[in-house]
Amino acid sequence: MQLFLEYLFAGISNGAIYAALALALVMVFRGTGTINFAQGEMALFTTYIAWGLTTKNVPVVLCLLIATAAGFVLGAVTERVLIRPIERKSLLATLIVLLGLFLALNSLDGILWGNQNYTMPSLFPNAVSSFITVGGARLYWANLGLWIVVAVLVGAMFQLFNHTRLGLHMRATASNRESASLSGIPVGRILMLGWGFSAAIGAIAGVLLTPLSPDSLGVGEMFPILIQASAAALFGGLDSPGGAVIAGLLMGVVEALLSGYVPAIGGQLQEAIAFVAIVLVLLVRPQGLFGSKEVERV
Amino acid sequence: MTMTSDSPSRAPLPLQIGQGSPVHRSLQVLGLAVLVALAILGSRTNSFQVGLLTQALIYAIAIAGLNLVTGYTGMLSIGHSAFFGIGAYTTGILVAQHNWNPLVTFIVSFLICFIFGLIVGLPALRIRGINLALVTLALAVAFPELIDRFPGLTGGTLGLNVNLTQLLPPHWTGIGIQNRFEYYYWIAAVVLALVLVLCANLTRGRSGLAMRATRDRETAATAVGVNLAWIKVFTFGISAAVTGVAGSVFAMYLGSLSADSSFTLTLSITLITGLVIGGVATIVGPIVGGLAVIYIPHWTENLRQGQTEGLFFGTILIILMFVMPDGLMGLLKRLSRHVVRIKPRAPEVAMAVSEELLAHRDRSADPDPEGKGDTTLAVS
Amino acid sequence: MTLLEITDLRGGYGPSMVLHGISLRVDEGEIVVVLGANGAGKTTTMRAIAGLISSKGAITLDGHSIIGMRPDKVVAAGIALVPQGRGTFAKLSVDDNLLIGAAKRRDRAGVKDDLERWYEVFPRLAERKKQPAGTLSGGEQQMLAIARALMNRPRLLLCDEPSLGLAPLVVREVFSLLTRINSEQQTAMLIVEQNAELALEIASRAYLLEAGTVVSEGTAASLRDSDAVRRAYLGY
Repeated sequence: MQLFLEYLFAGISNGAIYAALALALVMVFRGTGTINFAQGEMALFTTYIAWGLTTKNVPVVLCLLIATAAGFVLGAVTERVLIRPIERKSLLATLIVLLGLFLALNSLDGILWGNQNYTMPSLFPNAVSSFITVGGARLYWANLGLWIVVAVLVGAMFQLFNHTRLGLHMRATASNRESASLSGIPVGRILMLGWGFSAAIGAIAGVLLTPLSPDSLGVGEMFPILIQASAAALFGGLDSPGGAVIAGLLMGVVEALLSGYVPAIGGQLQEAIAFVAIVLVLLVRPQGLFGSKEVERV
Repeated sequence: MTMTSDSPSRAPLPLQIGQGSPVHRSLQVLGLAVLVALAILGSRTNSFQVGLLTQALIYAIAIAGLNLVTGYTGMLSIGHSAFFGIGAYTTGILVAQHNWNPLVTFIVSFLICFIFGLIVGLPALRIRGINLALVTLALAVAFPELIDRFPGLTGGTLGLNVNLTQLLPPHWTGIGIQNRFEYYYWIAAVVLALVLVLCANLTRGRSGLAMRATRDRETAATAVGVNLAWIKVFTFGISAAVTGVAGSVFAMYLGSLSADSSFTLTLSITLITGLVIGGVATIVGPIVGGLAVIYIPHWTENLRQGQTEGLFFGTILIILMFVMPDGLMGLLKRLSRHVVRIKPRAPEVAMAVSEELLAHRDRSADPDPEGKGDTTLAVS
Repeated sequence: MTLLEITDLRGGYGPSMVLHGISLRVDEGEIVVVLGANGAGKTTTMRAIAGLISSKGAITLDGHSIIGMRPDKVVAAGIALVPQGRGTFAKLSVDDNLLIGAAKRRDRAGVKDDLERWYEVFPRLAERKKQPAGTLSGGEQQMLAIARALMNRPRLLLCDEPSLGLAPLVVREVFSLLTRINSEQQTAMLIVEQNAELALEIASRAYLLEAGTVVSEGTAASLRDSDAVRRAYLGY
């Protein structure tokens, strides 16, 4: 029981991060119809910014806020400068530009901050002894704090989507871009905001995740997480924010339990498992678990 | 001469040349001769240069394979590093552990990668663009992990080494052990030539038209009776097979394989970059692309070690999509059109189909040119 | 008093030109219909006015040029287009669809009043407020599209083929509603139609388009009797 709970706690923490990034991916997909390959690298870039500030003795909370704002700007500028002019050409061109951004950002991280790994200070008490005991298992404050922040974040995003005018305009733009513009919605600005929010979520996820284990801030940190998050987004249905969150959590928990109890598939092979999951879901249900069916028109 | 001009005294540009006319033919022969001459010239450089050129040729083969699926058919594959790796390991394992003749393993690589390509292409039957790109992305990520998982077969993280004596040039070539890179160079050149002929044939005529129809407007292609699903899956298979053979040549050239360093996502992005630099959906583009992705890092190495290459390629990829989306060969093609124009001999069947397609595209362009939005979802 | 004036409009999709110099006008409070066969450029004209495609020539509203404006700016200027295919936000509720239509408005109370008002005019929409709009019938979606466009309180309503895909009885209903809105609100309308007979009944003036140019114009009555329009009935 104690072991199970410890696996479960670890799984929920990873799952919360997958869920947040999957939600970010879905936000971009709903607006622009593309997967942002650079989502993970944007998150990493802003996490480095936050880390850089902590080394200058800036309080961690402030670092988080600055990183979030930087993420928002990075996302919005990316949409305006790189995506908007290219997306009308073709999906292929957009995807290639995003791959380029992925590569460029990752390399830039390496150039700016070097190839060594760093330890990021946590927003929450992070000593070896800062945990509470639940059913005999240790639940660290850092984990609990992460859950709460992600829960609040996801809740706020859903509130925004479903109960505000901006959210309505975002949903309209996602549903039918042309019709939205004919209704007087400034579609370009809405898309820009969507990318901004999306990258801001990524920044928060990065700043929360990195302190969970020592020496984890490095150029290769975010990519495996992006893979898991895109698997989750696909699994939940690329156009379903709720699906992405549920699938992300599920994925984190299943992954932690599997690698805990079945060591043979643990560790190194996790990304391969995500791959198999993606292919199977796509074959059986191309629209994912909660997504809506794509209709091809002639 | 079939030049058509109003004033015979001064021929205005562009010159018009009929397809298949003696002038056109001789131009083609000339072009071929130049390529062969360049190839011979390349083999005469020092062994370091020959090595670099061999790598460029190998990448050109791999890019030619990618070009089929991404350039002509418009499906982004980020997973070609895996096909490249599968080809390399096929050759590596067969030669190192079963003592095969390396050249014979090329055929096995082709077949195995063809089958893997079909399997990866299968989801294309049901899903489109973006999801397929994700499947291939996942493949690129999973491949090195899978290689490390089966160390008995692949050598795992330690790598797979082929005994040099098994990779030496045969006696009849007269190439000694110290010049063996020249041998690999010519193997790569011959394979590349064969691959380009294959690509040229595949991308002409009906099959080529169907591929492009798939790329430009999937739904319209379905409407005119092109079997879209089959075209996609088959193209994926052939494309993977060609890139797999590139991997085989690579295994022969390098003699030792390590999945973690050679066959990662970075390779896939490198191939895509090469394709974009050279020019998507052109026959000669992959050669230019192969040269570019080998020589650019070689030249920039002196500037700064490490990540500069990635930053450079990433930036170049973005800039190219904006200013030169059809790459160097596309640019050349456009420029040359001002000087010389090839008048096609209309092949009846292809013309009929393409006209039908165009007509269809015009009609479908009218109400909703982007095809965006989900208004057709209406359940009425 | 001229509301919309189009002079020598040229445009199309990329390199393929569809409009070869179209001129027409709509006066305040007037219903004008544009007839023509498939491919004559009717929809393209509407899309050009709405700012969905770039075009050359002049388009003015109240004497102010609106050519080259973004679609949402055109809406703000006072023109709303009910697009062909209705542009329904299928997964969103009927309520949400109508609220989206009020994107340009800041007066919450006024929006609420308008919502009530349109639910009175279209009682069948009121019954389905919370349903996803995609589950409505074709006729209901057409009504929804019209109501959505009217939520921004446009001075000119553009309707692209409102009868497309609807049963004859429903078409009649749509047209009588348009007439009612026109007389109650003084909303000017520019309607593109293939169903010439019905459209000419409610319009005061009409234009006939062929291959991207205006080949005939006049009062609805005069066009009804012309040979050119008879040919258009057949739709070639």
